Amino acid sequence: MQHLDEGTIHSWLDGALSADEAARVEAHVKECRQCAAAVAEARGFIAASSRILTALDNAPRGVIPAAAPAKRVDPMVWRIAATVMVVAAGTLVVFRNGVGTAKRDQATVQTAATASGPIAPETLMRDEGTGTTSAPATPGTTQAKPAPTATTRVLLRAPAMEKRGAVGEVAASDQVTRSRNVPPAAASAAQTFAQTGGAAAMDASEQPQALKVVGTPRTLGAKVTLYEVAPGDTVTLTEPTPLQLQSAVVTGVATGVAEQSPTRQAGKAAAAAPMRRADAAAVSAPPVASANAEASRVESANGVTTITWLDPGTGNMLRLSGRMPAARLQEIRLRIERERAAAAKKNP
Amino acid sequence: MTDVERLFRTYNAALVRYLTRRLGDRDWAEEVAQETFVRALRQTSIENERAWLFAVATNLVRDEARKDMRRRKHLAILAEQERDEVVEPEETTLERAQEAAMARKAVDALAERDRLALLMREEGLDYNEIAEALQLSSGSVGTTLSRARRRLVESYETLQKSREEREKNAAS
Repeated sequence: MQHLDEGTIHSWLDGALSADEAARVEAHVKECRQCAAAVAEARGFIAASSRILTALDNAPRGVIPAAAPAKRVDPMVWRIAATVMVVAAGTLVVFRNGVGTAKRDQATVQTAATASGPIAPETLMRDEGTGTTSAPATPGTTQAKPAPTATTRVLLRAPAMEKRGAVGEVAASDQVTRSRNVPPAAASAAQTFAQTGGAAAMDASEQPQALKVVGTPRTLGAKVTLYEVAPGDTVTLTEPTPLQLQSAVVTGVATGVAEQSPTRQAGKAAAAAPMRRADAAAVSAPPVASANAEASRVESANGVTTITWLDPGTGNMLRLSGRMPAARLQEIRLRIERERAAAAKKNP
Repeated sequence: MTDVERLFRTYNAALVRYLTRRLGDRDWAEEVAQETFVRALRQTSIENERAWLFAVATNLVRDEARKDMRRRKHLAILAEQERDEVVEPEETTLERAQEAAMARKAVDALAERDRLALLMREEGLDYNEIAEALQLSSGSVGTTLSRARRRLVESYETLQKSREEREKNAAS
């Protein structure tokens, strides 16, 4: 009999040969030293490849952010778009002023734009006679809308995985205990936290390890930070970022008046801007948060818990979401708040 | 228990493990597995369930990989950011992470057909099922598997050696 080829040896070891073929191979391997060595080598390859593949099972979760990343558009495109919009809006205002009424002697066009965010053109028309300011542009453009935050993937989970999420507080403490990065004292404190649901237990515990930032995907109108809280477990913090006024364009008949009283104009615009921002902030803050700055809203859907709260430092609504019970998320929120406060102290 | 429930309970774990090994991300793997079961719902009858499920999952990954270059690019950016941050993890974690990275490299170095055949075999598919899922002749599965195993182990050992040399150089 000829020597066995490698494919046949693997087929034999995998039990894929018919009884007759298997008997023939077995008889040959008993007699042929070379083939016996090849069989031993094949056994080694089978065992080693299984072991190597097992190392792949420790794959992380949530490597991919839940929301597909927004398609990056060259900031220059936004700038060009802003310029076009400003010119168009300015032309419209000038045209209307020229044709419509002789009363209106000026039009001021302002635009707000950020380097990376969408352009929010804001057109202000001032009526000299009444001294009122109106915004003919869509009201929504006066404030930067936070970009849609991470949408959670709707998953039909395996029963075993459901169980992990469903055990709630127990799972939270269990997860902490299993994590090698958390000292035992912190783990037990976290367990107490889970049982009491209070923040006081966390304060009494040892300072937990700093949260590891694993990514800051770029999102328009919001700052998104991915924190790794345990190997393979991440949470997402979303913080809306307000748009900044970068340029002011004065067009048309406004030039004459602008030259006459630049101080008055600038003063008015400066006075209007903070007022608008304050109004917008008041509108954007949900009633719960405005009533109590510390209160947070908890939502849970498809295994993903999201808490929303008002950050007293910045006045922004922060959103924290992750695949874990609310108690654990609250604990992470406290850690994030502590780190943010420490960072603010360092860089006031 | 409906038929799809039975399919899910019987094959979900193996399918998710196969896809996790194939894709390197558990969430993505679960997503593809679920889509596979959704496809199964639309079938009136499936002759060889396991081979069918693995074949559909493999095709879904292939289609998604084609469409989803953007997501891959984003992953690369994230990985780069992570490399930039110097974090000193525990030694065991580091060790495991290095092993996983080497395993990933070694698996990625295989030809697609070899890789899929090997991953399917690891999930217990027999030669006929592998042949059906990958549209091979069942006679060639043994050769495919023997080649895949040899190359995987050899690639891994090469990576291991170069890592040891790097560590030795760093120590000296």
